[in-house]
Amino acid sequence: MKLKEIPFNDQSAVRIYKDYLYRIKKEVRGLNQQNQDEILMELNSHIYENLQAHPTGNEVENLLNILEKLGRPEEILKPLVADKKLAEATRTFNPIHVFKALLLNLTNGISYIIFFVLYLFLFGFVFLIGAKIWNPSQVGFFYKPGEVFILGLSKGLANPADELLGNWFIPTMVVSAIALYLIITLLLKLKRTINK
Amino acid sequence: MNEDFIHKWISQVKKGTLSFIVLNVLKSGKAYYGYDLINEIKKITEIEIAEGTLYPLMNRLKDEKLILSEWVEQESGIPRKYYSITPEGKNTVTKMEEYWHNLNNSVLKITK
Repeated sequence: MKLKEIPFNDQSAVRIYKDYLYRIKKEVRGLNQQNQDEILMELNSHIYENLQAHPTGNEVENLLNILEKLGRPEEILKPLVADKKLAEATRTFNPIHVFKALLLNLTNGISYIIFFVLYLFLFGFVFLIGAKIWNPSQVGFFYKPGEVFILGLSKGLANPADELLGNWFIPTMVVSAIALYLIITLLLKLKRTINK
Repeated sequence: MNEDFIHKWISQVKKGTLSFIVLNVLKSGKAYYGYDLINEIKKITEIEIAEGTLYPLMNRLKDEKLILSEWVEQESGIPRKYYSITPEGKNTVTKMEEYWHNLNNSVLKITK
């Protein structure tokens, strides 16, 4: 199903209406197409049914009253978009979706902040892969009991001989990133299940 | 009297009870679309709800499997999304009612 726009006689009403639709579209842009259409169509239906219930009077005035009662899209859609994005993210396993969902849900509690920090670690592993290619001698896993423990750039603080992974550094980071990613997503799924 | 405090308190109470009110309207088994539901709530309870808050709430109730939704085509070409209660929703609202009555009794006792 696709959106059918509401016809207006007054050009000012058309402009106000289109602007409101544009603001809704902007708010829901991060969601998949089906969710975007659902939200847009439902609010469009709300406006239409409301207008039908008040057929007399000034079109612009009626429309402005309806939109004022409905509220600003930037405010009313925030919780809806955050919920839907999280549902999308845990279904798809797409890292970009998960990251966006976590950002949208940061205000919803401390647990999401923890997830977010875990996610930063994940990006850390990915970053180190690039860093290793760019600066192979100084980037690695340097470890000497009681002296050195560095995962990342040694900045000359560690003896290159203490680097333990060598050519295995990149494969280890890849495996760590994938493992962490799977753990985060499964934990998110688990959290949603527990919440229910 | 601290009007600002009362205003905030009322909006919190409304927010907290909206899901209970919505489920109560739906429990008869009749399906409602958003605008219709808002009017029904206004008619029965005389509570003015912030209309925009209804839709995120309906999405949550749906996620919790307490209600279902279905798009129904209209002659106008602008379809309506109808919501109806699930058996789980009916059981849930019954439990909520029990709690509400207990709470109400307690509050009445304390405000005497």
